[in-house]
This record gives sequence, structure tokens and C-alpha cells, in this order.
Amino acid sequence: MQQIEWDCTILENQTLNDQFFILTLQGEAISQTAQPGQFVNVSCQQFLRRPFGIMAVDRTAGTFQIGIQVKGKGTMEFKDLRAGTVVSVLGPLGHGFDLAGYRRVITVGGGTGVFPLYFVQEHCRAAGVETVAVCGYRSTQDAILVDEFRHVASKAVFASDSGGMDVEGHAAMALDKVLEDLGPAEGTVVLTCGPKIMMQAVAERAARAGLPCQVSLEERMGCGIGICLVCVCKIKEQETGAISHQRCCVEGPVFPAEAVVW
Amino acid sequence: MVNLSVQIGSLTLKNPVIAASGTFGFGREMKQWNDLSELGAISSKGLTLNPRLGNDPPRVAETTGGLLNSVGLQNPGLQIFIETELPFMKTLGTTIIANIAGHSLEENVAMAEQLDATDLDGIELNLSCPNVSKGCMAFGSSAPMIEEVVRAVRAKTHKPLWVKLTPNVTSIAEMAIAAEAAGADAVSLINTLLGLAIDRKTRRPILRNSTGGLSGPAVKPVALRMVWDVYRAVQIPIIGMGGIMNGEDGIEFMLAGATAIQIGTANLIKPTACHDVITEMEWIAQSENMAQISQYTGLLQPW
Repeated sequence: MQQIEWDCTILENQTLNDQFFILTLQGEAISQTAQPGQFVNVSCQQFLRRPFGIMAVDRTAGTFQIGIQVKGKGTMEFKDLRAGTVVSVLGPLGHGFDLAGYRRVITVGGGTGVFPLYFVQEHCRAAGVETVAVCGYRSTQDAILVDEFRHVASKAVFASDSGGMDVEGHAAMALDKVLEDLGPAEGTVVLTCGPKIMMQAVAERAARAGLPCQVSLEERMGCGIGICLVCVCKIKEQETGAISHQRCCVEGPVFPAEAVVW
Repeated sequence: MVNLSVQIGSLTLKNPVIAASGTFGFGREMKQWNDLSELGAISSKGLTLNPRLGNDPPRVAETTGGLLNSVGLQNPGLQIFIETELPFMKTLGTTIIANIAGHSLEENVAMAEQLDATDLDGIELNLSCPNVSKGCMAFGSSAPMIEEVVRAVRAKTHKPLWVKLTPNVTSIAEMAIAAEAAGADAVSLINTLLGLAIDRKTRRPILRNSTGGLSGPAVKPVALRMVWDVYRAVQIPIIGMGGIMNGEDGIEFMLAGATAIQIGTANLIKPTACHDVITEMEWIAQSENMAQISQYTGLLQPW
């Protein structure tokens, strides 16, 4: 039998700006086995746990990181947690990105979606895979992990709705520019995580360019381990066209873009 | 050593802790990190004759001390249950109960008839799901209808038959009396309490289905009161549930009159919840020198 629940000590709580912060947690098993796109479900004082995509792992140190945006009571609690606090963590959970066989990986993230994509970038860099990072922000003030993505990716392009970065507009528009510059290449895949409307726009562009695309979906979650069936999303079976409700927490959060019913 | 076994009609459970329907799937996920043979029983995800897609998301809204859900009986249908899930569940080494939630009397009867031919241990007739438009709670809120449905199902199965009751009624005791009169072997209560959660900013209900069923510690006092009401109204065993988070809660339900208990929402936040409750109940019984856990049933001493 596997163990799924871990007591993890918070090692660091790093503020990025007034909304975003990164927690570093001690967690040997999670750091050893987590794959890019997977998530953890963390307890707080609210009734339900809170799911967060894993942002990075350090397998040597036995630690992992999660990036959080303050959205409600639960995330607000996490913002105030200090080093030394122990939290109960379920994980690693879910089906992450399928990266096997790709020679060039383009990640397109927006909002908190940039966090799990950072894990993809680090993973691919270690594996010697060429990567392009596209990150979209509302404004330059919201621009998080810019230096980190610049450092980790073979090429990084940043978009801001209000201008002042590489591309004025949303992340999918920045993807247009990237695809134009790169030209076609065998073995390229587009991975996206962020607001649904952004991911849909990214998926459409990838399809137009003839590139496979994987999207990381989000839905209000209960258990995170597949038993309560609340976090479902509509998925179309490729062969039959039949629509089913699949769990974001087990079959997802990452699905092939063409299977998603937007 | 405390004897943990309990008797529900002809069924002997190795302990009083049952995994509640809809919070444990068919055991496949939980088996990865728990020895499910240690449970008293598992009640399957609510089944319908045909596969059901369930409601659109969002299906969950967190509330104070609990949550609202509106899953809407998403399930693979009875045929897949019988062919695939039941054989798997029967390998788990515990008592297996099928929770059936037909939208009509005929559907419930048809399911009971098919299940009667399997090696299933018992049926929990769900007359209480609040998240579907037909059947279920619509039957469960009328005593004459409960009696009619339970009698019809009873006629088609020799399996132990539990009837799961809704708290969304004026008198749950009346509903239990009707189930008993129609031949139920036990009643299980409570299902979720119908509720509404609102997003003040969007001015919409949080759930796509608007309303949903409330569960978790928030409902425990209501559930305890209802178990106690029913205990004083019927002779058949009661399976109590509603916000049980630990062994102490479990013992309280037994004091109120429950013979066994179900753990539901607790599973969602603690994957080992059922096992923890068993251990804690055993510990409490031991510390109180109870030879048998079943001795707790109905020990409540009212003022």
C-alpha cells in the first residue's frame, strides 16, 4: 500500500508581490515522485483542503514548492504561514503532462498557471529538451517568475495586457509571435495552464499550427483523490465522440486539448 | 479486547464503521492506501439502471463546517457495476452494499431484481438524494410512497435491505416507520440536508445546480437528533451518519440509537478517516470497559 498523506514542514514562505507567494515544503516522498503537472491538496483551517500545482521539486534536498495566489479564506491563511509550521499534504496527485518523446516544449501560462509550467521547464531543461516559455500577465506589476523563466527556458516571451513587456496583449497572442519566429518543427508540443479562456485560445492556435496541445484544467475540488466526483470536466472521447464527466483530480488535471469540451 | 462486531438483521459486520455511499467510489481509489478488509462495510456509489453523467460543475461549495454537493448521481450504471465493480469490491474482504437510487419505482425494482442474482451482501435503497429532479428524495419525503417503493423492492430481493432516508422532511420517524412496515431490514440516516450557497459578487448560486446537499460536522446535531427520533419509533436497526469525523462522534451516534455508523464527508479530507474512526471507537470502548461495542446502542439517558 502507498502512503498518500504526509505531514510537511514549511521551510520558507516567499512573498512575490501582494497577491502571489511561494511555499517551500519538506517532503521527501512528494519531491521524489512528483511529475510536472501534478498537484498537492493541502489542509488549512477551512473545511476542505486546497489544491495547488507543484511548482518545483528538489530531489536532493527532499523539498518541493507550490505557488499560491490569494483568492479566498484558505489561500489567505497560507499567506500568513511561517517557516516551521506543519501542514497535512495529500500528494502527489493527478495525471500530469505527457512529455515523453517531444523535442521542443512550449509552455503558455497565465496567472497561477505559470507555477506548474515552471516545473515543466525545469524538468525539460534537466532532460536536455528545448523549451519556450510564454507567460501572460495583467500588468508588469503582476509579472511573477520573470527572471526564473528567462533563466530556465531556452527562450522566454512575456505578455502583459497593459503593455510594457515583450507583447502587449494576452499569452495566446504571444504564442502567435513565438510560433511565427520558430517556424515548424517536428516533435513540438504546446502545454498550457491558466484561465480557461486563455487556454482555449492557446488550444485553437496550437491546432491551427498543427501542434499537439495539452491543457491543465481546474474545477472546484473536493477530495483531490477521486472519490467524491465533484471536480469533473466535460471530456469528449476521440473515437466515439461521446461526452463524459472526468475527474480533474485523477484523469486530469492535464487533458489533451482536443478532448476538452470548452 | 472489545468485540467490535455488530448485527444488522441477518448481516454481521466486523465493526460498526461503514464507508458511506458517494464518498468512497467503489473502493478502487481508497484501496491504494488503505486495507479495506478492516472496514465494517462499504456502500457503493449511488447506482441507477442506466449510466448517468450527473450534474454540470461546479458541484461543490464549501460552507461553515461542511460542504454542499450536487454531483447528481454520476455513475456507470447497474450493468457495469455488476460486471466490473462488484466483482472487484467482493475481493476487498469486507461487506459490500449496493446503494441504488432509481428515478422510479420500476427502476428500483428492476435493479433490486438484478442484484438479487449476484453475490452482493446487501442493498441500500436510496430514497433521499436531493440532487436529481426525479425519484429519490421525491419518494423519500412521503411515507405512503416509501412504503410502496420499499414493499415493491422487498418483494424482488432476499438480500438484506436498508432504506436510506432524507432529513428534508417534517418527521423522519414517520418515514422510518413506513420503511419498517414495508419490510426494510434497517434504515440509514441521514442523507444530506438541502441547502444553497451564494456567490455574493456574481449574485449566483455557487453550485451549477443551484441547490445541493449539506454534509459534514455542520449537520451532526441534526443527524443525532434524527437518529434518536427514529430509535424511539422503530425496532429495526439504525445506521447513523451525518458529520462523523472521529471515534467520539461515532460513539455519540451509537448512544443515540445507531447500531452501525457511516463515514462520508470525512473521507474527502482524510483518506484514512474510516480506519481512524474504528481505532478511536475501539479505544473509547476499551477505556470504558465495554465488552462489546454494540452495547452502546441506545444508551443515551435523556433528561
